[in-house]
Amino acid sequence: MNIWTYILRRTLYSIPILLGVALVIYVMFNLVAPNPAAILLGRHATAQQIVELNHELGLDRHWFLQYFDIVKSSFTFDFGRSWSTKQEITEMFKAGAIPSLTVSVPSFVLATIISIIISLFIAYYRGSMADKVTVFVCVALMSVSSMAYILFAQYFFAYKLGWFEISGYDFPNFLPYVALPIIISVVLEVGPDVRFYRTIILDEIYQDYVRTARAKGLSEKVILFKHVLKNAMIPIITYLVLAIPFLILGALLIENFFGIPGLGAITINAINSSDFPVIKAMTILSSVAYIIFSIITDVLYTLVDPRVRLK
Amino acid sequence: MSEILLSIKNLNVEFKTDEGIVHAVKNFNLDIKKGETVGLVGESGSGKSVTSLAIMGLIPNPPGKITSGEILFQGKDLLKMSREELRKIRGNKISMIFQEPMTSLNPVFTVGNQIDEAIILHQKVSAKEARKRTLELLHEVGIPNYEQKVNDYPHQMSGGQKQRVMIAMAMACKPDLMICDEPTTALDVTIQKQVLELMFNLQNKHGMAMLFITHDLGVIAEVANHVAVMFRGDLVESSSAKEIFNDPKHPYTKGLMACRPSLDKNPKRLLTVETFLNAENAKISDIKVEYKVEKETDDEKYPVLLEIRNLKKYFPIKGGIFGRTVDEFKAVDDVSFKLRKGRILGLVGESGCGKTTLGRAILRLIEPTAGDIIYSGVNLGTLNHSQMQAMRRKMQIIFQDPYSSLNPRMTVGDIITEPLEIHNVGANKKERYDVAQSLMEKVGLKTAHLTRYPHEFSGGQRQRICIARALSLKPEFIICDESVSALDVSVQAQVLNLLLDLQDEFKLTYIFISHDLGVVKFLADEVGVMNKGKIVEYAKASEIYKNPREDYTKRLLDAIPRGIPVRG
Amino acid sequence: MSIKSGSLSAHAWRQIKKEKLAMLSLFIIVIYVLIALASVTGLLAANWSKEVGASYSAPSLQHIFGTDIFGRSVLEKTIKGTEVAISVGLVTAVLSITIGVFLGAMAGYFGGFIDEMIVWFYTTLSSIPTTMLLVAIALILGKGMLAVYLALGLTSWVSLCRLIRGEVMRHCEREYVQAASAIGGGHLRKIFKHILPNVSHIVIINFSLQFQTAIKSEVILSYLGLGVQGRPSWGTMIDDSKLELARGVWWQLAAATIAMMFVVLAFNILGDALRDALDPKLKGKS
Repeated sequence: MNIWTYILRRTLYSIPILLGVALVIYVMFNLVAPNPAAILLGRHATAQQIVELNHELGLDRHWFLQYFDIVKSSFTFDFGRSWSTKQEITEMFKAGAIPSLTVSVPSFVLATIISIIISLFIAYYRGSMADKVTVFVCVALMSVSSMAYILFAQYFFAYKLGWFEISGYDFPNFLPYVALPIIISVVLEVGPDVRFYRTIILDEIYQDYVRTARAKGLSEKVILFKHVLKNAMIPIITYLVLAIPFLILGALLIENFFGIPGLGAITINAINSSDFPVIKAMTILSSVAYIIFSIITDVLYTLVDPRVRLK
Repeated sequence: MSEILLSIKNLNVEFKTDEGIVHAVKNFNLDIKKGETVGLVGESGSGKSVTSLAIMGLIPNPPGKITSGEILFQGKDLLKMSREELRKIRGNKISMIFQEPMTSLNPVFTVGNQIDEAIILHQKVSAKEARKRTLELLHEVGIPNYEQKVNDYPHQMSGGQKQRVMIAMAMACKPDLMICDEPTTALDVTIQKQVLELMFNLQNKHGMAMLFITHDLGVIAEVANHVAVMFRGDLVESSSAKEIFNDPKHPYTKGLMACRPSLDKNPKRLLTVETFLNAENAKISDIKVEYKVEKETDDEKYPVLLEIRNLKKYFPIKGGIFGRTVDEFKAVDDVSFKLRKGRILGLVGESGCGKTTLGRAILRLIEPTAGDIIYSGVNLGTLNHSQMQAMRRKMQIIFQDPYSSLNPRMTVGDIITEPLEIHNVGANKKERYDVAQSLMEKVGLKTAHLTRYPHEFSGGQRQRICIARALSLKPEFIICDESVSALDVSVQAQVLNLLLDLQDEFKLTYIFISHDLGVVKFLADEVGVMNKGKIVEYAKASEIYKNPREDYTKRLLDAIPRGIPVRG
Repeated sequence: MSIKSGSLSAHAWRQIKKEKLAMLSLFIIVIYVLIALASVTGLLAANWSKEVGASYSAPSLQHIFGTDIFGRSVLEKTIKGTEVAISVGLVTAVLSITIGVFLGAMAGYFGGFIDEMIVWFYTTLSSIPTTMLLVAIALILGKGMLAVYLALGLTSWVSLCRLIRGEVMRHCEREYVQAASAIGGGHLRKIFKHILPNVSHIVIINFSLQFQTAIKSEVILSYLGLGVQGRPSWGTMIDDSKLELARGVWWQLAAATIAMMFVVLAFNILGDALRDALDPKLKGKS
C-alpha cells in the first residue's frame, strides 16, 4: 500500500483516540475534580464569589463546550493561564522546554549508545559469566528507587565531594548544573534498556537465518553486527522513537531536586499548588505528543521493515 | 574407483537435556566419494540432522557435544580444526542448505546481497564481480527475471524460489560437497520435483558430491547412489541404493521400505516396522499381505450420508484508507459432492487449495459463505445452536498437528471425557472414565496413562489420543484433516491401519484430507482432487491413479517420486 | 524440550527449584510477607511511634538504623513500612491483573466490535502519561491508601491487557480450541477451561513485575504528597530524608532504600526465573 495512504489511515485512526483522551481529561479535570473555587478563593468564599469565579473560568457552560475546549487546545496549544503564577501557560511551557531538553536529550542519547554497546557485548558473550553478572547488575540497579539515587548522588557527589553543582540552572552555561542530573538519568535508563535490547538481540540470534549465515562461513562478529543487528534495529528504533515524547515531559523528580526550571519542575509546582490548568495543559500536551509520535513510529516501522514496506 | 572425499569415523554426539544426557549419534561411520550422492535416511530422532551439523561444525555447544570420532575431509580432521580454519571451509568447500526456505534467508537483506556476501567472503573479489557471478547463479538455478529478482527481498519470493536461492548461495563457491537437510520437505510435491531435478542437474554439471538427508524414501530413490539408514542414533544399514531398495538386510530398513503406501499396490493394511522387527530374517516379499477388496455399492444399504451442494467460503481482503473490503479470496469455490455411508473420501491437493477450509466448513467450525451441507437429509445451515450441538455428536474431526490439538494443561483422561461431559453422557465421572479407558485400549494405548499429560506422549501416541477423543461420542462421520502428515512414516502406517480397523468395527464414514497421494490412494474409496478452491477431478480411487483425466491431476501424479532407485 | 512427567506447572516448579538464586529470592519474599503479617497483627513494631531515643541519633548497637526526628526507631518504622509495601504490591497487582485479563480475554476472544472498543479504550489510556494519570486520580480521590490502590491499579493494567489479548488471539487459532468447538464446547468453556489456563504463565510473570513496580511507584506518590498518611511507609521515609541529608542524617534513607531494594530485587530475579521456567520460547533469553 502507498505510504501516503497508510499515513492518512493511521492519522484518521488517531482521531478517535484524541477524542477519547480529551474525554478522559474532561472527566478528570472538569467533572470529577474538586471545585476550583475552594482552591482559588479559599474557605471563606461567599456563594456570590463562587458563582462569579465559575463563570469566569467557564465552568458553568454546557459540558460539550467545555469538552470541545479541551479538544481545541490540543490543536492550538492555547491553554489559558496558570492559577498560581497567572502567566500564560503556553509561555511557561516555551520557557521550560529548553532546560528540560538540556537534560533529557543528552541523557537519552548517552543512555541509548551505552545500552546498545553493552547489549551487543553481552549478546556476543551470551551465557558467560560476564553476561550473567551484567544482567544481575542491571536488575540490581533497577531495584533501587530513583529518589534514592537522586538524594544519595546529590548529597554525596555534589554536597560532600563538591564535584557538581547541588542545584540550580544557568543558560547558556548549563553544563555544571546538568552534569549530575544527566549521569543519574543515564544510570536509571541503562538497566531496563539493556535488558530490553538484550532480549531483542537474543530473539534474533536464535533465528534460522543466523544458522544459514554460519553455514556460509561468516564469523560470529559479522553475524552479530551485520545480520542480527539490522534485524534487531527494527524493534529498537521503534522503541526509541516512541520514547521521544517522554523527553518532553522531562524527568519530574530530577528537575525538581536539582532546581532545573524545566517542564517537569513546572508540573511538580503545579501539583503542589493544585494548579489545575497547568496540570491539565501538561496532560494534554504530553498526550498529543505521544499520539503524534506513535503515528511516526508506525509509519517508520513500515518504512524500515522490508516485509511490511513491499507487499 | 572414485576417491573418498569425506570420511566420518566413529562419530559420537551427545546432548545435555533436562532429563539427562541423550546419545544422539552413536559410532557413526560413513564415506562419501567424490561426485557421489549419499542419501541419509531416518525418521525423527534418528540423528541424521545432528550428523550433518557435526560435519559443518554447527552443533550448538552447549547443549551438544561431539564426544569422539573423526571427520576427515581431504585428509584433514574437521573436528580438530580451529574455528578460523573451519570457517574457511564452510560455505566454500562444504556448503549446506536447510529445510525451511521461509526462515532460512535474512529478511532484511536482498537476495542478491546475501549471495554476493558468500562470494566476497571466500573469494575476495570486488562487489561488481561478485554481483556478476550472483546473476549467473540465479540464472543457473532457474529464477525467472533474475535481473530484477536479484534485488528482491526473500518474502517477495515463493517457497520454491527461495529454496533455489539457497541452492545458488550454497553453490556460489563451487563446493566439493553440498549437504542438504530435508531441502524439499516443506515444498509442494510439484515444486519438489522441479527442485530435485535442478539439484540433480547441477550435481552432474559440477561433479559435486551431495549428502542428502530426508525421511522420504521416494525422494532418496530419485537422487542417491549410496544410502545410509539411521535409527535412534545408530547406523543400521549402509549400501548402494539398488541394494537397499531391492534387498534390504536390516529389519528396520525392511520395515521402512514396506510401510510406505505405494501407488501400484493395494494392500488392505500397511505393513509396519514392528512386523519386521519381530520377524527376524523375513524378506519383504515373504510377509503375507492381504489385498483390498472393492467395497459393495448397494445404494439401499449405503445411503448418502453427506451431501455438499455448491459450497463456497470466501474471505474478504481489506484495503484502502478505511480498510474496506476490496476483494475476496475464494478459499472454497463452489464445491459439490455426495458421500455414502461407510465410504472413505480422500480430498487431495497442494497447500492453499482449500481442502482444510472445506473440512472446517463442513463441520461448521467456519461458517460457509454460501451453499448447503446436508447430513443424513438435514440441512445443517437451518439448525439452531442446540440442534447443531446434537448434530456434533455424529460428526467429528481429527486435526493435523498432534502437538497443538491437545490442551497441554489437561490430562488425557479429561481430554477424552470432555465431549461426554459436554453432552451429558454417562451419569457420573467414573462412568465417563470407564468409557475413556475402553477407548484408550481401542486405540492401542495403556489405560494407566489416562492421568498423564499430552507432552508425555510421542506424536503418534498423541494422534491416537485425538482419535480416542473423536470416538468418544460414537460418531458416524469423521474428518481426518492431514491427520498423519506430521507423523513419521512408520508411525503413519500404524495410525492408518488403526483408522481402517476402527472403520470396520464402528462402521464409520471418513473424509480424509491430505497432500500425500500415496496415503490417499491407500485409504480412500473415492478421491477428489482440489486446486484453487475447486474440485477439479472426482473419481474412484483406482481410476484416478490409473487414468487421470485432468491436466492438474496428471501433473500431480507425475511429480510423485516413484521410489525406484535410479542411480545406485 | 522433553518433559518427563507431570503437568507443565509441576515441571516448571522443578525447574525453578534448581535455580538457587530464584529459590533464595522466593525465600526473601516469603520473609517479607511474614514480617508484614507480623506487623499488621502487632507482633512486630507495634510501638513504632514511641520515642525510644534522642532525636536523630546515629545507628548504634541499640538502634540498628538509628532514630528519626521524633526519636522513633527507624528499624521499627521500616518494619511497619513493610505492611504498606506488601499490601500496595498485592492489591495493585491483583486489581490490575483482574482488569487486564478480563478485558484482554474479551478483546482477543470475541474480536470485532468488542475488540475495537477495548483497544480504543486502552490506547486512549496509554496515550496519557502514567504520571499525569496517577496525579490526576490521586488529586481526585484525595489522599490515603484507597487512593493509592486505585490509582496504581487503574493505571497499570494496560500492558498485561495487550499481552493477554495477543495470546488469546493466538490460542483461538490453535487446534485444541477448534477441537473444543468440534466436540460441542461453548464460549465459556473455551475461554475458562482451555485458553486462560494456557496464558496463565503470562499472568504469573506479570504479577511479579506489577508487584515490584507498585512498590517503587508508592515512593513517588508519597513524595508528591499523595500517598499514605498517618503511618510510615518506605516512600514517606525517603521523602522525609530529603531534608535530613543536609544535616548528615543518612540512616532513614539507607534503611528504606535497602529494605526496598531487597524485595524488589527478589521479585525481579524470581520473575526472570519464572519466565525461563514457564515460557519455553524465552528460555535463556531473559
